Amino acid sequence: MSSRRWRTTGLTLIAAVLLSIWVVPVLWALLTSFKTERDVLAYPPLVFFEPTLANYREVLFGASSILPNLVSSVIVAGSATVLTMLFAVPAAYALARLALPAKRAGGFYVLATQMLPPVGLIIPYYLILQKVGALDTYGGMTAIYLTFSLPFAMWLMVSYFEDVPPEMEEAALLDRAGRLRALWHVILPQVRGGIAVTTIFVFLNAWNEFLFAVVLAGNRVRPVTVAMFNFISVEQTQWARLAAGAMLAMAPVIVLGLLAQRHIVKGLTVGAVKGGGRR
Amino acid sequence: MPASVRTLAQQERRFALALFLPALLLLILTTTTPLVYLAWTSVQRVDLSMPWISGFAGSDNYAKMASDPRFWSSLTLTIIYTASTVVLQVAIGLALALLVMRIPRGHAALRVAAILPIVLAPVVVGLFWRTLVLSPDVGLVDVATRALGLGSHNWLGDPQLALISVIAMHTWQWTPFAFLVILASIASLPPDVFEAARIDRAGAWKRFIYITLPLIRPAIIIVIILRLMTALSAFAAIFAATGGGPGTATEILNLYAYRTSFTELNLGYGAALAMVLLALTLTISFMLFRLRRAR
Repeated sequence: MSSRRWRTTGLTLIAAVLLSIWVVPVLWALLTSFKTERDVLAYPPLVFFEPTLANYREVLFGASSILPNLVSSVIVAGSATVLTMLFAVPAAYALARLALPAKRAGGFYVLATQMLPPVGLIIPYYLILQKVGALDTYGGMTAIYLTFSLPFAMWLMVSYFEDVPPEMEEAALLDRAGRLRALWHVILPQVRGGIAVTTIFVFLNAWNEFLFAVVLAGNRVRPVTVAMFNFISVEQTQWARLAAGAMLAMAPVIVLGLLAQRHIVKGLTVGAVKGGGRR
Repeated sequence: MPASVRTLAQQERRFALALFLPALLLLILTTTTPLVYLAWTSVQRVDLSMPWISGFAGSDNYAKMASDPRFWSSLTLTIIYTASTVVLQVAIGLALALLVMRIPRGHAALRVAAILPIVLAPVVVGLFWRTLVLSPDVGLVDVATRALGLGSHNWLGDPQLALISVIAMHTWQWTPFAFLVILASIASLPPDVFEAARIDRAGAWKRFIYITLPLIRPAIIIVIILRLMTALSAFAAIFAATGGGPGTATEILNLYAYRTSFTELNLGYGAALAMVLLALTLTISFMLFRLRRAR
């Protein structure tokens, strides 16, 4: 009896230690964001120190403010998300529930587009956008963000539409105007949760994107992931400011990730669960 | 009656197309058109630093690869990086999931801890590791190795250590993914299977090999597929931590194609490199989906 309890305690301890490997660096960054640059470089590292908000002040309102970059990220990730959902939700419904011609081929095509290597996309985008003078514009950047968010959102929404009980479909067997109304009033309310989760994941992925952003960014459009490099230069790395900037940049996705935590496994695996199956 | 059924079916098809076609057209426009342009670029001389030499190059860019040691090195690194990170993630994720299944409580806290690295932007992870984790003297890892008497190391400055470091970094960020998916899969198994095996006095190892592993095999294959895709498109974390360096020690194919295209401005050759990466990705995913269907 008691040996069993010991074992459970031991296992819990091992698991806690292993999982702390994932938490500690993030907590350490949080701690660092409240340090002065001098305290950052102290050895042995300081766990207790006099905390300062100077880094956050500097990062928000100082010379190297990331506020414009946060705005950039909100606009790019926001418009990519809105566009993605507008196109993906109806298309996913057709894929999941309607007698769509060439459904199998269509589904496979959507899945295949998800596997394109990002570096293979950015090269033609750069050349095309340069030709039409759309480098460093919100339009250009939003367009390339759709390449990963649209297939992802379609597949995730398909899985939610498939969960809607088939009896709901009866209501949709009306005339053409009726179908649209039925989709809007009957089906969509059933997948409200799925739409929320999909929106969160699409926004999160767009917010974290870096390769497209760093190539296309200029003075006007510069998402926050690119701005992180403001704090790193050959001469000097401003660790505490970098940590503060990273904390501000990552706060939205951490909150969103925690909000969607129960759905994260589904969100992460959706393409592969469906792909290559019977569909 | 049959006529009205036909019109109903026709109506449904038309309605389905009206919903699906806008997204399909947008996908073709945003993904397939650029891909065709990539293939076209890969047979061109496009060097923005020498615009006057632009023109049709035929297979020159591809022929150049054969004798380009940097290409072969980046291809080798891509294979090493992809294989090792995927194996590590699945092995550690599986072990951790099995361990956690034997713990009665605290799963919620563990899940929160596991989600943290997954939601972080890879570029931020790369910068954290470059500074707070791997920096000589004051980085967390260096502090630990010094405390353990293993000495201080230049984790990202030494070619061999740098490769190990970026592999560790990727494994750190994405193992929780493997862990969460495998954990969800084990948790959904019917408990009576294990009861029966326990009554048969099957040992823990035998239970794992003959019962658990075959049952969670689909989940493991899904994890492998998705982890392979992420590893093959890895860019931001390595870019932030080492930039592909020192020298070309951590320059996987993605970074080589990026540097060729946007640092050296030779987009023709960069496009050819990206085509190789595309072929590699498609081949691997095709093989894996075959494996998945085969069961």
